[in-house]
Amino acid sequence: MARWLVCWLALVAAAGGSVFSPAVAEPIVVTDIAGRTVTIERPAQRILLGEGRQLLALSLIHSDPVSILAGWPADLKRQDEETYARYSKKYPGIEDIAIVGQGSLDTFSIERALAVAPDVAVFSGGYGPSVKSTDIVSRLESAGVKVVFIDFISKPLENTAQSLTILGKLVGREAEAKAYVEFYNRHRQRIADRLATAKPKAPNVFMHAHAGLGACCNSPSRTTIGAFIDAAGGHNIAADVLSAPFGQLNLEYVLSAHPDIYVGTGGVHLIGKGGLVMGPGIDLTRSEETLADVVAAPGLSDVAAVRNGRVFGLWHIFNNNPANFLAVEVLAKWFHPELFADVDPDESLRELNDRFLPVPMQGTYWVTLTPSREAPDAASP
Amino acid sequence: MLLRPESGAAGALESYAALVRRRIVFVGAIAVLVIVAFIIDLATGPSALGVSDVLRGLYAPAEAERATAVIIWEVRLPQALIALLVGAALSLAGAEMQTLLNNPMASPFTLGMSSAATFGAALAIVLGIGIPGIPASWIVPVNAFLFAFGSVLLLSALSRLRGTGGDSIVLFGIALFFTFNALVALTQFMASEQALQQLVFWTMGSLTRASLDKAALVALVLAVVVPFSMMSAWKLTALRLGEDRARSIGVNVSRLRLGGLLRASLLTGVAVAFVGTIAFIGLVGPHLARLMIGEDHRFFLPASALCGALILSLASCASKIIMPGVVLPIGLVTSLIGVPFFLALVLNRREQI
Repeated sequence: MARWLVCWLALVAAAGGSVFSPAVAEPIVVTDIAGRTVTIERPAQRILLGEGRQLLALSLIHSDPVSILAGWPADLKRQDEETYARYSKKYPGIEDIAIVGQGSLDTFSIERALAVAPDVAVFSGGYGPSVKSTDIVSRLESAGVKVVFIDFISKPLENTAQSLTILGKLVGREAEAKAYVEFYNRHRQRIADRLATAKPKAPNVFMHAHAGLGACCNSPSRTTIGAFIDAAGGHNIAADVLSAPFGQLNLEYVLSAHPDIYVGTGGVHLIGKGGLVMGPGIDLTRSEETLADVVAAPGLSDVAAVRNGRVFGLWHIFNNNPANFLAVEVLAKWFHPELFADVDPDESLRELNDRFLPVPMQGTYWVTLTPSREAPDAASP
Repeated sequence: MLLRPESGAAGALESYAALVRRRIVFVGAIAVLVIVAFIIDLATGPSALGVSDVLRGLYAPAEAERATAVIIWEVRLPQALIALLVGAALSLAGAEMQTLLNNPMASPFTLGMSSAATFGAALAIVLGIGIPGIPASWIVPVNAFLFAFGSVLLLSALSRLRGTGGDSIVLFGIALFFTFNALVALTQFMASEQALQQLVFWTMGSLTRASLDKAALVALVLAVVVPFSMMSAWKLTALRLGEDRARSIGVNVSRLRLGGLLRASLLTGVAVAFVGTIAFIGLVGPHLARLMIGEDHRFFLPASALCGALILSLASCASKIIMPGVVLPIGLVTSLIGVPFFLALVLNRREQI
């Protein structure tokens, strides 16, 4: 009798389950950035992040991204205290997410990663495991953890939309992901289309990465943050001589290339290091002052763009951020002010904050040095 | 044969005078080569400024075009000068250390000074630890200098605990080398990805951090140290005959060692502080000089300094030529060129150094 009852209950439960959540039986199949096909039985409940900062990508499509995190490295906490604190305020549970590394590949602990029993590991290169980390991937997979690769850094402009789509499928938020991808593509397309029709002359751009840190002149070529220069209709002078993704240009080369535009990149990681300070929680005046200091350095102050007063600062962390369309918009406006007179990156940021981000981006993400500031003897008001 | 057995005392004196003349000519010849290398270095760069443009820009900066003047005075001249000065400083430090410790492997790098400097730099870069009140751009060089200097004080303190034998100093130095390397690895382990990159670049050495005031500072240290080195030259020569013999003719070996190590640490500290770690100059410079000049330290010390200056100057040219427009870290270039060169020297060595 008891056995019959159990069977009957089981039948009802199965029927009820299939009625109330029909998606359960349908496995989710995603093709990740590395071209691997990954199948999961149901939307991920316990995600292991390879980089803590991808919390921002999750938050674009999930109203409570912290609730689905099982483990992550401490990079967001260590390198972007401001953002971490804001998320922590909104999602106090963030403190309980297990730490599996300090935010570098060497400190990523496979043992801790396995101990948090994730169902899916989402890796994104950068500070964490990448496609090359075959040891980590194979160990996770043999423990039954699915591994999915996304990318916002190595080919930011090509992979951002697809990465969001993948994340949307993984966490069962396809509609939200679709909305963001549409928003993202619309903004990208606006710049691309207009450049394609107008075909303006590309100005020579010198992008000074981590401006003010160490000796001059670290510069990206066509990948990572340098990818945005081409997309915004500029010509990157580093791409003419650099074969590696990143390298140190000879200051003499920069001087003799007579760049039309100087773009320094900076972030909170340059605080106290004499560099350009920008990003979350940084006010505009501080960014302007540090940018003015950077371009006042001997040699750099004589670069054509600096002498002609076309000096700009960009948040470096756009190099690994799904909101990278903002960087393209800002650069395009700097490169071709007339062509993009109606484009307002501040408005785009506002729209991003209002429509998608549960914790808004607030701070200085781009800055223009007004000519009065860069004169070395001008007293700042 | 330099000494003809059939000639008497006068003949010996005469051939000694000839030997001294020959050594002076050698030192003079290296000095000329250094000047030539310096001018080539000044004339090398990604923009089309030749020797004549550079010399004119140096001679009459007011008449030169502004961009040209900036390239010459802000970029090429500081780097070329610091290449000469740092090369000379590291090589002189290596020469004194090799003699003082009676060990051909002794150099600022094998005895832990540069590892200590790297650790100092790592503390500043990774953990932001430095002397309070120092401007941001000086924290790293000041830390590097203090640690290089401190490591030698530690070395001499340790060696005084257990006599002053050259071998025990070498062993202590190697222990320091491994200790500081481990500490550097520890900071690397804790570093964020960006700080790690910066540290790696720092350790590869670069002349692009040069400025005229930094070059002046290295020149000042050299100007202070070189007279003391030259005053110790005959004692160092005597030490080459062996520690006991040197003692028997009245050389206070432990004082000589302490003074020499302090000089070496000053030279290394100031050099490493401004350009990062540049390997092999301190090792190869002295060996090259010794092969040409021999052991008489009145000539060997200046020749070592000049050889170091020559090598680093040429390496600076190479670092600009190999990939135009891009700066190759100078430490890479000296190591890549230095290693085969060093091996060739060792393989061709006819007698025990």
